[in-house]
Amino acid sequence: MTTVSIRRLGKRYGATTALDAVDLEIGTGVTGLLGPNGAGKSTLLRCLATALAPDTGSLRVHGFDPAVQHERVEVRRRIGYLPQNPGLYPNFTAYDLLDYVAVLKEITDTGARRAEVRRVLEEVELTDRAKTKVRKLSGGMRQRLGLAQALLGEPELVILDEPTVGLDPEQRMLFRALVSRIGEHRTVLLSTHQTEDVGALCERVVVMRGGRVIFDGSPRELAGVAEGQVWLSAEPPQGNAAYWRNADGLYRTLGARPAGGEAARPSIEDGYLLLLDSEATTAGAATGVAPTAGAATGVAPTAGAATGAVTTAGTAAPDAAGATTAPGVIR
Amino acid sequence: MTDWHLDQDLLDRYDRGDLDTGRVMAVEAHMLACPHCRFRVHVDVAWTTGNWAIVYDAVHAPRVGPAQRLLTRLGLPEHRVRLLTATPALRWSWLLATAAVLGLAVLAAVFSRDGTDRAGLLFLVVAPILPVVAVSGAYGPPADPMYEITGTAPAAGPALVLWRATAVIGAAVATAGFAALLLPAAGWYAAAWLLPALLLCTGTLALATSVPLPLAAGTLGGLWLAGVLGVTGFRHEPAVPLVFGPAAQLSYSLAAALAAIVLIRRRRRFDPGESR
Ligand SMILES: [Zn+2]
Repeated sequence: MTTVSIRRLGKRYGATTALDAVDLEIGTGVTGLLGPNGAGKSTLLRCLATALAPDTGSLRVHGFDPAVQHERVEVRRRIGYLPQNPGLYPNFTAYDLLDYVAVLKEITDTGARRAEVRRVLEEVELTDRAKTKVRKLSGGMRQRLGLAQALLGEPELVILDEPTVGLDPEQRMLFRALVSRIGEHRTVLLSTHQTEDVGALCERVVVMRGGRVIFDGSPRELAGVAEGQVWLSAEPPQGNAAYWRNADGLYRTLGARPAGGEAARPSIEDGYLLLLDSEATTAGAATGVAPTAGAATGVAPTAGAATGAVTTAGTAAPDAAGATTAPGVIR
Repeated sequence: MTDWHLDQDLLDRYDRGDLDTGRVMAVEAHMLACPHCRFRVHVDVAWTTGNWAIVYDAVHAPRVGPAQRLLTRLGLPEHRVRLLTATPALRWSWLLATAAVLGLAVLAAVFSRDGTDRAGLLFLVVAPILPVVAVSGAYGPPADPMYEITGTAPAAGPALVLWRATAVIGAAVATAGFAALLLPAAGWYAAAWLLPALLLCTGTLALATSVPLPLAAGTLGGLWLAGVLGVTGFRHEPAVPLVFGPAAQLSYSLAAALAAIVLIRRRRRFDPGESR
């Protein structure tokens, strides 16, 4: 079933294009928006959450158009939204905060509201923290409270903007378990720049870049983008290929096969990096400007953290200008 | 742990409530120590769950303060009271700041050497601004850190803004009114600021149907200050009658009515949740 339908959606901030004619249909389950910073993920989610009006194109949530005044209320009745910076009132207790948001969500009957607050507290496993002030909650608990307020009133569409940022691995695992449970019966749309999130809980992944959708498919298909382009070799490759040394001391290369390279199974991250990389190359060739390579820089730390140091062969490391002109280089 | 357990007959009688107090205490003392017997007692799940919910809410639900009780007694429904009293701008810090500014104005009046006119003028000029400052904080990013959540809730929109504005105006007017009573020689001008305040508030809300609320408040507040200072130049005598005299008051009330009409006609444009 289609929950969200987006047609040719566009948004500009001054000279910057945040969304460039985005087309998407989203249904039940967990869909991940993946992309580097500034890809337009947040802008898209804020448009869906009715926090931002798009410039062009159309948007429907359960058939309702947020651009029409009286339909916007209908959209708001059907969504739960956790912004990137929720700004939960620090002096409210968890219970107070949920009670207050429940009033804003039109649950006016006191008894029904309290039952709903208890229900979401239980769902995010914060029942025993109801009396704790928001400022005294840990980062992970605060994020779960943010999720709980989004779940008030059982919305059909749950929008989560970068919900796993700043969580330690244990909290992140708990959060993923909660989100995947929610996604069993509802539509969950979340943005992330972590390929692990996508692999762990998304049935579908949409990769965005420069305000456009550059990939739409399953996580397996995203890994498949790198099929036949991931190599393990005992010696570092020649040329400009991106490579890093893995835990076994072998060189893992993305792109053309290096001398003595053996084909390796691609990961979601390999697919994602190659996708951004090829986009950077084509975009750079088309417009001849450097900033595209700058965007690719944003993903390098992820690769480094997961697999070791990222280095470039052939070019001198500090020469940033050289890197932008050399195709296939990820820094 | 003990080898001895409650016999079934005793347990049945406990269940039916047929035991005397001494026996009940003995049975319960045993059950506290013995999980085995504890789980042999018949449990009414619905009853337990219901009571658990009641206890949980009693412990965790927001406390009802004197302000809430007063509003409830005035006939406001409970959810509306929650909405009003949770208004972020209605914080002690803000109320204290308002009270401090007014207190300073009163002090200035008390200690001023050249009579009450100049200090009274200071009070009259400052007092109408405070409710407007309060209104500008009733909604949106600077005052409400949770604005993205509150602004995209179904109850967001004109009704919420107006309710919050009413709440903060009410608090500001009450504070300023109290300060006016403290003014020395509090004559007619102790109330002269009310109509300008009303005009500035309705005007701000009307203007906010086209521009962001803080901008609207800043514009009108600035215009008021510039206007008053421009007209009077802080001269004593003509100032108060000119700016706060009957003719001026009449024009304030007419303008406020006009602003109210604009506000009512354009109220649907209030959507603080959606930025452009
Ligand atoms: Zn026993």
